[in-house]
Amino acid sequence: MGFADFLGFAFIQRAYLAGSFIAVLCAMLGLFLVLRRFSLIGDGLSHVSFGGIALGLFLGLEPLWVALPISVAASSLILVLSRRARLYGDAAIAIVSSSGIALGVVLASLAGGFNVDLMSYLFGNILAVSPVETYLSVLLSAVVLAVIAFLYHDLFSVAFDEEYATVSGIRTGAVNILLATLTAVSVVLAVKVVGVMLVSALLVLPAVSALQVARGFRGALLLSSCIAVLSVLVGITVSFLADIPAGGTVVLVNLLVFFVLLAWKRIR
Amino acid sequence: MKQKDLWEKRVFVILIGLVFMGFAFWILNRRTEAPTDIGIDRPVVVTTLFPLYDMARFVGGDDADVSLLLPPGIEPHSFEPTPADIVRIGEADVFVYTGDAMEPWAKDVLSGTGRRDLLAVDASEGIAMRVGSDGDEHGHEGEEGMDQEDDADADLEEEEGHHHDHGGLDPHIWLDFDNAAVMVRHVAAALSEADPSHAAAYADRAEKYVSGLSDLDRAYRDGLAVCKSRTIVYGGHYAFGYLAARYGLSYEAAQGFSPDAEPTAKDLARLVGQVRRERLSAVFAEELSSPKIAETIAAETGATVFELDAAHNLTRDEAEHSVSFFDIMRRNLDTLRQGLSCE
Repeated sequence: MGFADFLGFAFIQRAYLAGSFIAVLCAMLGLFLVLRRFSLIGDGLSHVSFGGIALGLFLGLEPLWVALPISVAASSLILVLSRRARLYGDAAIAIVSSSGIALGVVLASLAGGFNVDLMSYLFGNILAVSPVETYLSVLLSAVVLAVIAFLYHDLFSVAFDEEYATVSGIRTGAVNILLATLTAVSVVLAVKVVGVMLVSALLVLPAVSALQVARGFRGALLLSSCIAVLSVLVGITVSFLADIPAGGTVVLVNLLVFFVLLAWKRIR
Repeated sequence: MKQKDLWEKRVFVILIGLVFMGFAFWILNRRTEAPTDIGIDRPVVVTTLFPLYDMARFVGGDDADVSLLLPPGIEPHSFEPTPADIVRIGEADVFVYTGDAMEPWAKDVLSGTGRRDLLAVDASEGIAMRVGSDGDEHGHEGEEGMDQEDDADADLEEEEGHHHDHGGLDPHIWLDFDNAAVMVRHVAAALSEADPSHAAAYADRAEKYVSGLSDLDRAYRDGLAVCKSRTIVYGGHYAFGYLAARYGLSYEAAQGFSPDAEPTAKDLARLVGQVRRERLSAVFAEELSSPKIAETIAAETGATVFELDAAHNLTRDEAEHSVSFFDIMRRNLDTLRQGLSCE
């Protein structure tokens, strides 16, 4: 089977398309999160959504509609904990994410088991993206891009110096809640579409790579998105040629880009 | 003054340490006491997997106290026993597991309980397991059929061999009903050993179960004798190898013996190619797990998704309605006859 045949499959086209949009989404949000020391928030929130889905099943409600608000709340809680309680960001994420898992495990036990294996429903696979999920990821990326475009200045100031931003009249509280909400919604939905491993990697690696060489913040945003999209396209292609799992390959391509840029920065 | 403070602190710390150690000893002692005398005299049987539970439940009847370790809805390949599960195993009279391929943790847990009188039953004993070594494990017994149309397809055929097979053993032995009969007899033998006074009843019920299995076998043979298609394309892990081989079907799965390895794009392309080439109208999905892989293949080819249940475990609804292994297998037969357009 040649490469042309491979491109003819609709599921491969969807993987390229949905993967690229989610890559942009994660890369942009990731830059803000990395700068604010919340690199692991992707993992953390996916654990929380596990708890949320368990709660939804336990209460007999649609799991995703329970998981989404809970993840938004958890995401805000992480921000509040790290600011008010003067916790480090990673400690705040650890607290919230392990509580999410704990909630899920306890509820699963109280409910005496569920009708499905939770994990398999919670985590997507980039090769099994449905048409609806493809539209969803395009839509979500558009929303996040629009918010970043409109509130670029506010988000930027808060990311770099929160106190200064407050003094200069930016409503940091509102900006933080907005960032937390966008992150939570993106993580929960993107994890369902492409899987937790890919989301955590796409939130962190492109941003960190871009920060190695980019001059300004705009440049970093642009570069981070380009790296993310490129790694998705190259990763899926290589995964086909080498016959290895697609998600893992995308992450490894990202890692490779990071090392190359790191080396380039040192040589330069 | 300062010296004295330091001394008080030290004494305090040592006291707390002693209290904790005492507590720990108490817990350890409590655990090792009184393992067996639960219930009146009925042997306590703990099983790891639904088919074993169903067999032990049937054979034990009212004379044994049978339970299943897996909570409903949990995917068994990723299952690891919790401390409470290990206690349950430690307090049982009989522990039935499918074999080392299915429950690699069983050996450690058993040696960890330190009980010599615990009857551990490896239900796969004496069963020749299918090996994932060469192309053969795909169950091409049936027709390869359908002329190969072009080189691309020939390539696909070649590539099949080296997937899925990690040189391991296929642990889904219960999906060959002869094997299931062997497993039932193992269970009955263990129950009789644990509780000799009811040996006759156990043997009797075991034979009933076995004859139920041979009825089922006949139903499958008749039901699947004349079908439009003889290929099961499965968007899950390689569970139905035994069943497919027994009834002359060919079987292609997206994953290996365990659902942990992600299928690659080529795996999916291979299955899509197969569905198109053989003009299959059905793609089968796994029970309990997300049907996404099967749905992807179906969306690509216009086939319909059917759920085929390998009976690893029950859902919570099924557990509440005490669905039996026979119920599941009869449902599977209906599904297969529908999906493969059988006469």
